[in-house]
Amino acid sequence: MAYVATRGGERAIEQSERLFREEMGGFDRDRVEEVRKSLPYLIDRVMGEASLYDEDLAALALAQTGGELYEAVLLLRAWRTTQPRLQVAAPIEQDTLFTHRRISAAFKDIPGGQVLGPTLDYAHRILATDVLQGASYAPDPVEPADTPSPAYQPSVSAWQADNDLLDPPAEDPTKGNDIPDLTREPLLFPSKRAHTLQSLARAETGGVLALGYAAMRGYGQAHPTVNELRLAEAEIAVTHPDGRQFSAGRVKVSQAEVVDKKGEKLGIGYAATFGWNEVKCIAAATLDLNSPGAEKGSATEEEFFLYHTEGVESSGFCIHFKLPHYVTFQSSLDAMRDAKAKKAGQSKSSDMEPAE
Amino acid sequence: MDDTLSVLARADGARLKSFAETLIPDLGEIEVLQSRSGLVMLPMRDTAKGVAFHLGEVLMSEAHIRKGDVQGYGMRRGHDLEASMAMALVDLAMATDVRRADCKAFCDAQAEALQKADDDVLRRVEATRVNMETF
Repeated sequence: MAYVATRGGERAIEQSERLFREEMGGFDRDRVEEVRKSLPYLIDRVMGEASLYDEDLAALALAQTGGELYEAVLLLRAWRTTQPRLQVAAPIEQDTLFTHRRISAAFKDIPGGQVLGPTLDYAHRILATDVLQGASYAPDPVEPADTPSPAYQPSVSAWQADNDLLDPPAEDPTKGNDIPDLTREPLLFPSKRAHTLQSLARAETGGVLALGYAAMRGYGQAHPTVNELRLAEAEIAVTHPDGRQFSAGRVKVSQAEVVDKKGEKLGIGYAATFGWNEVKCIAAATLDLNSPGAEKGSATEEEFFLYHTEGVESSGFCIHFKLPHYVTFQSSLDAMRDAKAKKAGQSKSSDMEPAE
Repeated sequence: MDDTLSVLARADGARLKSFAETLIPDLGEIEVLQSRSGLVMLPMRDTAKGVAFHLGEVLMSEAHIRKGDVQGYGMRRGHDLEASMAMALVDLAMATDVRRADCKAFCDAQAEALQKADDDVLRRVEATRVNMETF
């Protein structure tokens, strides 16, 4: 075991951080507020990957890191470890979601109908370059309907189970601290379903998309059809010390069900996350759909995709390679030189006549 | 779910604090057991297998107070200890029959405002309803 000590590094390290922060300058409450208000979908993505819901904290992390997403998520994950856990809320049930967007690619006439909600799906992708010339961009206001949309709808899969297209889910009475929790216990394989879904909920969006896309393109066993995609607000159902249950507020959540034909019934995959991030949910649900029976080491095998979509661990492992590896690398060079010398020696001896 | 507590948890923070402050003289001496922020873990039900799993944690503020044997409790989203304490004060006032009519009027007004805000959202969502036909 050996190491290399570097002299004079302390000043260089301090100056390098200053240089990083110089580009974005100082920040204050107003900048945090501006980030929170103007980038809601980025805030959602960060909260989902941090597994910590608070728009102000997410905006602060983005302002503090200049938008370096891996650093922002790491800051939030680190901060959450300093906080006490007050309670475990009651599980969110599908039919209590305050629904903003609910669509299905499998059935056009799902019970409750389809509402597009907030989306750019059908927008022209034209960059508003006029703004750079001084014009201001103001979106046209929504023209509200006379009657409100029904706030609460059951899942599409519940309707399919009623119609014998799917096996209905089993009853799971687990609640509170009995629900398996990755923040307090390790991820082991085969993974508990609660761990799998928690891990996907906090997974890095790009990683989930890359592996989910691989499955969609054919490197998997099942092709997804979006059974239901929902953007909603969920109640945080907590308990008063006297036993009364109440909603302590709402958080934005997204969830996706994807299905594929599997024998006489449909196979189903599921994923959900904090914030509105439908790409992540569809990709994650696709991985869930594909994971049963997946080949070891394939993109759709549970161990493979859960380990490789954990953003803090994967980005941390990636960037550790830029840290000094002088001793190990020198050792590799020594081995290479040794092998080269041996090869040269063998070659010299094979050139000799047997009698020599 | 308790509707009154649910309304107080989502009520306008500034109005809640102003109203709760007026209750303090009538409530008399109270004991503060807890006033802090922390995290509430939020599980969700998976529709494929029915399993409950953790979605993540939410930053919350909590206040727990007592007057004699009666407890008041507040929990709201985000870091705002004054707002969670205000909620606990209104809860305690209602539980001890302190200015009950005023508390009820405040909660009713807030419930109406929240309902109107929800209706406004849902009428805007309804504007995006699609009816598809197969040709």
